[in-house]
Amino acid sequence: MKYIFKRIFIFAIIVLLLVAFSGSYKSLSIDKLAYVVAIGIDKSPSQGYNFSFQFTNVTSSSESGTAEKSPSIVNNVEANSIGSAINLMNTYIGKRINLSHCKVIVFSEEVAIEGISKHVYTLMNDTQIRPSANIVVSKCNAKYYIQNSKPILENLITKYYDIFDYSSNFTGYSADATIGDFLNKLECDTCNPVAILGGMNTENISYPTDITENQSSSIKANESTIFGKRGSENIGLAAFRDDKLVGELNASECMAFLNMTNQAQGFFLTIPDPEVENNYLDIYMSPKKPTKISVKITNGTPFIKLNFYFSGRIYSIDANRQYLDEKKLEAISSVCDSYLESAFSDYLYKTSKELKSDINEFGKYALSLFLTTNDFNNYNWNENYKDAFFDVDVSSIVESSILLTET
Amino acid sequence: MSNSKIGTTEAVLIILTVIISHSILSLPRDMIVRTQSATILNIIYITIICTLLALLISKLFKKFGNADILDVSEYLGGNLFKQIVGIIFIFYYMVSSAILLRNFCEALGLVYFQMTPVFFLILLFVIGSCISNRLGFNVSLRVNLLILPIALVSIVVIFIANFKSFDIQKIFPILGGGFKDTFVTGLLNISAFEGLKYLYFIPPYLKEPEKYKKISVLSAILTGTYLILCVSIILFIFPSFFTTNEIMPLYSAARYISFGNFLQRLESIFMMVWILSFISYLTIALKFAISIFQKMTRIKNTKSIVNIFGILTIAISLFPKNLAVSTFLETKIYSYFSIAVIFIFGIGILILANLKKRKERI
Repeated sequence: MKYIFKRIFIFAIIVLLLVAFSGSYKSLSIDKLAYVVAIGIDKSPSQGYNFSFQFTNVTSSSESGTAEKSPSIVNNVEANSIGSAINLMNTYIGKRINLSHCKVIVFSEEVAIEGISKHVYTLMNDTQIRPSANIVVSKCNAKYYIQNSKPILENLITKYYDIFDYSSNFTGYSADATIGDFLNKLECDTCNPVAILGGMNTENISYPTDITENQSSSIKANESTIFGKRGSENIGLAAFRDDKLVGELNASECMAFLNMTNQAQGFFLTIPDPEVENNYLDIYMSPKKPTKISVKITNGTPFIKLNFYFSGRIYSIDANRQYLDEKKLEAISSVCDSYLESAFSDYLYKTSKELKSDINEFGKYALSLFLTTNDFNNYNWNENYKDAFFDVDVSSIVESSILLTET
Repeated sequence: MSNSKIGTTEAVLIILTVIISHSILSLPRDMIVRTQSATILNIIYITIICTLLALLISKLFKKFGNADILDVSEYLGGNLFKQIVGIIFIFYYMVSSAILLRNFCEALGLVYFQMTPVFFLILLFVIGSCISNRLGFNVSLRVNLLILPIALVSIVVIFIANFKSFDIQKIFPILGGGFKDTFVTGLLNISAFEGLKYLYFIPPYLKEPEKYKKISVLSAILTGTYLILCVSIILFIFPSFFTTNEIMPLYSAARYISFGNFLQRLESIFMMVWILSFISYLTIALKFAISIFQKMTRIKNTKSIVNIFGILTIAISLFPKNLAVSTFLETKIYSYFSIAVIFIFGIGILILANLKKRKERI
């Protein structure tokens, strides 16, 4: 009798737990979920926002195999908050929106200027959003940006978003700015956040742009001369003070940012040729060791000293060149030094005087100068950063060209 | 008491079960909020103090052979005092484990089981620990011996995998909130060493009682080292944790881990390991609460009361009205309660018993 009761009890417990956990299991059923891969947030003409959701067609991508490109769907809805937008969209699509595969969050410039903290906090409060999701500020409409973000070398949009920021490793023209880092920097007393600067390339742009400089490193998203099948592009960075967009960084400034924060792995540098007038040399530079940064506070003003160490290889080569000659290499190295020193100084003074935003996280190097957190808070680093002055020292060694050393 | 005997490693791991389970929840963040950038300095300071206290406990127990604190309190104040001490410790074991269980289940529910009432999650854990306790202490010890090292490794993996994102400069300003916050009010962080509560009850279980001192010191040092690891992960990655409260900071840190495009979303694996270590923690806590009860009432068979203690755990864990109340109990009340019971009440009894013994000799 006791044995039967024990069996019945165990069976009842199992049934009870199965019923209790079936709700959570059912809510994750793939048939009932709509996976969002990108969210766009625009200002709406009324008081609220215009939210765009980019979905992948799961059935279509699994049926099409690998050879055929799978289409993505962009739906948008006007709402006052992300929550209500998701609710409305759930009603429309008849499924439950799932953000666990959301790779990109795009804010239009207008929204970013107004401040994006409430969106960032809300999204990070959602268990589905990954901290690694990229954050983009689009120079054009966020909806338009998402609609034009089409995979051209990949089959799936998710695959494109996966490798979205990969090129920043070797170009330095964009950065891997994620929502997780954005939130951390939003809360930080020693730094300010950044986002990827997105826009449309010239072919797809519907309005004229003012491209004043010829140097490719001076371009940024929405102003590039790229022509291609995909309309959207990511060049440069959007700089924030707290949660508000305060300025944009072009490609070379972005490259400087990556070097300041030790994220750069390599980049092309175009410098004037010391041998031939009106000729330019392309050199592929790689950091030799991490940037040495020291901060002092002199008469209440931050003095920031930076030492950069690079090694380079000459990429562009012409006839009658000798790149094994030490003197010539030294001359090129010296031009690299002065070019980078000037570019980095300009960038640093732009962040302090113009943007008044320590996106380079120099504040953390000042922490050791204070004994207590109260002392540091009383000093108010973010306020004093606008008065900072910099001493940039670049030491680069151009070693040779690559395969052809003499022509 | 059971015939099971505990080896040195098993004893140290029993003590570490508490810190591992507590650190998965809000412990590291609470410590950082209290002592800010000086948390690592504070941990070194409190580790030294706790090691000395652990040494003191082992020295005070020396004159009582294999007795536990219940025997010592019986010697000090008779059977009534023993009963009072027993009730206080049972209450402490049950309440502390039930509150941690509630918070862990709330967090688990929020992350993975949003449609499941928290009661069923609690039930699952309690059933696991009841079954484990019914199978005997040896089973619990071996499972603990298997799971705890994996849980420890999981924290080391989070530390190593996030190392590239560390800003070591965040250890400054070296004094954090100031000298008083670090070394005076920061003493509250001593509650993180609550695993030392098992030191009062393990002497009768030890295979080699002469190693009690070694176990005490080793547990304190390992707890301190483990805390440094946990706090470093959060302090060096998240400036936001000074102001923003996330339910499980270490889980958040685990979400940042990825190895290329292939190994991503590893936090589920960590969570699985932590669930197992939490069941292990609950089993040990329940075991010691039952043992105290057994010693108080002198009942022979503990199997029959395992389920009652399980139901009690469920009842206590359901007592907080919501997450806000249970978090308040964990972050505010729990620390004072642990310090009062472990470091004041427990040591107080041992000191008084030693004084009595000395008086008797004279």
